[in-house]
Amino acid sequence: MTLLKENKQKNPALVTFASAFVPGLGQIISKKLWRGIAFFVLILISAFLTDWSFIHFNIGKIQISALTTTWLWLPVAIVWLWNIFDSYFVAKNKTINLLPAILCACIVLYVIAWNITKINIGHMVSNFGDMKTILTQLANPDILSTQENGHTVVCGWKCATDFVINKIQGKPSQLIVPSQNLGNIFGQQGKVDPPFWQVWLGMAKKGQKIPGTETGKLVETIAIGLMATIFSTILAVPVSFLAAHNIMSRVPGGQPVYFVVRLILNFVRAIDTVVWGLIIIVWVGLGSYAGVIALTVHSVAALAKLFSEEIEHIDPGPVEAIEATGGDFFQIIRFAVIPQIIPPFLSYTLLRWDINMRSATVIGFVAGGGIGFFVVETIRMGAYQMYAAALWAVAVVIILVDAISSYWRNRILEDKPQKQKKHGQKFLTIIYILVGVVVFLYCWQVDGINLRDLLNPGSNFGSIIHDFISIDLSSSVVGGMVKDLIVTVMQAFMATTLGALIAFPFSFLAAKNLTGANPFTKILFYASRSLFNVLRSIEALLYVAIFVFWVGIGPFAGMLALAITSFALIGKLFSEAIENIDSGPIEAVNATGANVFQMIRFAVLPQIIPPFVSYLIYQWDINIRMATIIGFAGGGGIGLTLLTYFGSLQYHKAGTVVLGIVLIVAAMDFTSAKIREELV
Amino acid sequence: MLKVENLTKVYPNGTQALNGVSFEVTQGEFLAVIGLSGSGKSTLLRCINRLIEPTSGKILWDDIDITAAKGAEIRKIRRQIGMVFQQFNLVKRSSVMTNVLTGRLGYVPTLSSILGIFPPSDRQKAIDDLAMVGLEDKTHVRADSLSGGQQQRVGIARALMQEPKMILADEPVASLDPVLAHSILKYLEKLNKEFGITVLCSLHFLDLVHRYATRAIALKDGYLVFNGLPKEIDDTQFKSIYGQEAERISII
Repeated sequence: MTLLKENKQKNPALVTFASAFVPGLGQIISKKLWRGIAFFVLILISAFLTDWSFIHFNIGKIQISALTTTWLWLPVAIVWLWNIFDSYFVAKNKTINLLPAILCACIVLYVIAWNITKINIGHMVSNFGDMKTILTQLANPDILSTQENGHTVVCGWKCATDFVINKIQGKPSQLIVPSQNLGNIFGQQGKVDPPFWQVWLGMAKKGQKIPGTETGKLVETIAIGLMATIFSTILAVPVSFLAAHNIMSRVPGGQPVYFVVRLILNFVRAIDTVVWGLIIIVWVGLGSYAGVIALTVHSVAALAKLFSEEIEHIDPGPVEAIEATGGDFFQIIRFAVIPQIIPPFLSYTLLRWDINMRSATVIGFVAGGGIGFFVVETIRMGAYQMYAAALWAVAVVIILVDAISSYWRNRILEDKPQKQKKHGQKFLTIIYILVGVVVFLYCWQVDGINLRDLLNPGSNFGSIIHDFISIDLSSSVVGGMVKDLIVTVMQAFMATTLGALIAFPFSFLAAKNLTGANPFTKILFYASRSLFNVLRSIEALLYVAIFVFWVGIGPFAGMLALAITSFALIGKLFSEAIENIDSGPIEAVNATGANVFQMIRFAVLPQIIPPFVSYLIYQWDINIRMATIIGFAGGGGIGLTLLTYFGSLQYHKAGTVVLGIVLIVAAMDFTSAKIREELV
Repeated sequence: MLKVENLTKVYPNGTQALNGVSFEVTQGEFLAVIGLSGSGKSTLLRCINRLIEPTSGKILWDDIDITAAKGAEIRKIRRQIGMVFQQFNLVKRSSVMTNVLTGRLGYVPTLSSILGIFPPSDRQKAIDDLAMVGLEDKTHVRADSLSGGQQQRVGIARALMQEPKMILADEPVASLDPVLAHSILKYLEKLNKEFGITVLCSLHFLDLVHRYATRAIALKDGYLVFNGLPKEIDDTQFKSIYGQEAERISII
């Protein structure tokens, strides 16, 4: 007991003094390591941002007689003071309310974030007319066309409903046909390159055009997502064994291999698929093939990490049993490890398929090919009705993929023992395999996959790689990169805040246990759920064009695009958190005679605040990754710089930026995981 | 046939699991290993087939030094020693047949076994062994669709596939209802009496020891504190093994 007391009773004066000099030091002396580190990092970051943003953007500029400075130093000072108070109280084994410190830190962050993401409400309001035009066009996508004065024009909702009404009334009406644009998206009759098997069989010559079905851009996209998922799963399985600690510790010399593989996986994973696209096109050139490789590279790393974690979490019992029978290393893997990991591997593959399909819709922004490339073209032409049709088509496909993937994931994870094999099951299996092979070959053909290109990169490829690795650390490049990175992080921060603010009320409408009961609120439930699902199915990069049209190119547009996807995902997660509330405490609080507000305060809020905060941090993490590429479509941040460096062949500078992105994403990943661990 | 000399095991975290344990086992014995949880029973059994590396001491198996064996040699020794586990340690998603066949892994070539190819004689033996434990009708169902008692019988059939000279049973009935305990131990007794397989079995309940074991050893904090006939365990012995607070209880 005496020992315990000695440990806790630090000299409060000394500890307070320590914290006054180095924030958090006092708390660390009092054995509150993470509290100390949190204060230190918080004060370091807010002081740095205050100073940096004043120098670069004059944020919060005030004039006190001869001294020009920023008023943001005031809240920073309050946080510092609170850190000193806190260290004093911690040393005395008491606690102090941290709310003022958190508020002041928020003031600093939001003022800076607001300014450097160039939020301009006035501009938004004055340009609202433009926004209305584009919204009308978005609501009338180019999917049907009709003849008007000898010209082909888009047939919007009004034209379509008129047509139906005329038909019902028996009046003559203009002919309506699927538009050329719809054909571009889903496929249409035309002249195509002959498929490889026709060339092999001598039915057509290479380079000749034959009549056939042109592949729709969306079909190409689906093929990209599917091929990338197949390739990355095949590659990720062996890699995951190299990255699994329990396997590698059985292999002589396995430990260093494990660490190296883990390091490489984390590095590759931190670079977004679209950024990989930029790197890959240097290698194999533009096209959907480059898209497949970019998605595969990122997916292999992401899947191998998840797979290896599954391998590490298997039940060690069977391993022990097989070892005890005298089985060797390979027999242990085959009979004790593989049967256990098949269901989680399949489930992660399906999840990855969903993610890859989403990435496939935007990879065309840089790699060419697929619906992303099509969207870039429509934006360049200012053809917003064509663009709208593409968005709607993407939404339909992604919602379907999402539904199929989650249905099968649930089925697999239930993992029920199979019932007696049905008659004819063998026949069905053969049919499935045949269909699978045909689909695989078709996708191979559509994406123009060519292994020879992969092994023969251009002759200057070596020098490009060398250039890329010899990163440029000159102060102008690094300074510019730091500026872009701060803008990127702040965009993600504002987008998360904005998305969450709007999502909060909606999430209550979308919670089944609150609105699922009576028929009227049921409408609200389905409406808000559908809104989340539709908005969530389209990647932020595809939304940017709308906001560029509204508020102009820059970080504000990118932030708004991110806010849309954040709204949808946060809304979904929040509503699920509300649905998972334990009704026990509500019953207990009600039983004490409390009213509705007291019930919410004491039974509901304590249950939903931790998951809410955890989801917010998770979303911020996702948004930072997204914000690194949002610039490819004019959304500001680091993306534009990266695109410029790649476009102007300044690979050594591009290398610097990629490294910067990896560092910031990895740091955020670590922090977010750490905080969420503490919360849950 | 088995001689344990001065066996000591210290885990990397400093726990002294075994402390100079020495005893001998002769062919055909049913030896019970008793002691409290954490007394070193599991460690002792796992040292014998080297699932755990002993820190020092010797284990002689028909005059072969198990502690000195390496790689393929150790696997050859393991295949003569069957093992039955408290948690059964079946691969839950695999069929009963596959689980039983894994008992042959020490005998069949690596490559063909990985492709799932086993000699027809092994498959026949698997069916015979399952019949022996009364599970011939469960051959093709998944292991996790069986009850606990049935799973442990599959575990025994798997050990039997090894054509073992000895079976190590680590708390084989601790995860089962007391009613099932006798049914499992009767199978082990049958193997012991009819096939002359030596059995080393750690057990919790003294009345089970009295009923099945021909001899008993007791561990306490890693030390061997008793070695003799089950009926020799009187109240003083009992208190020294299980501590002063312990009370005798019995099942069924």
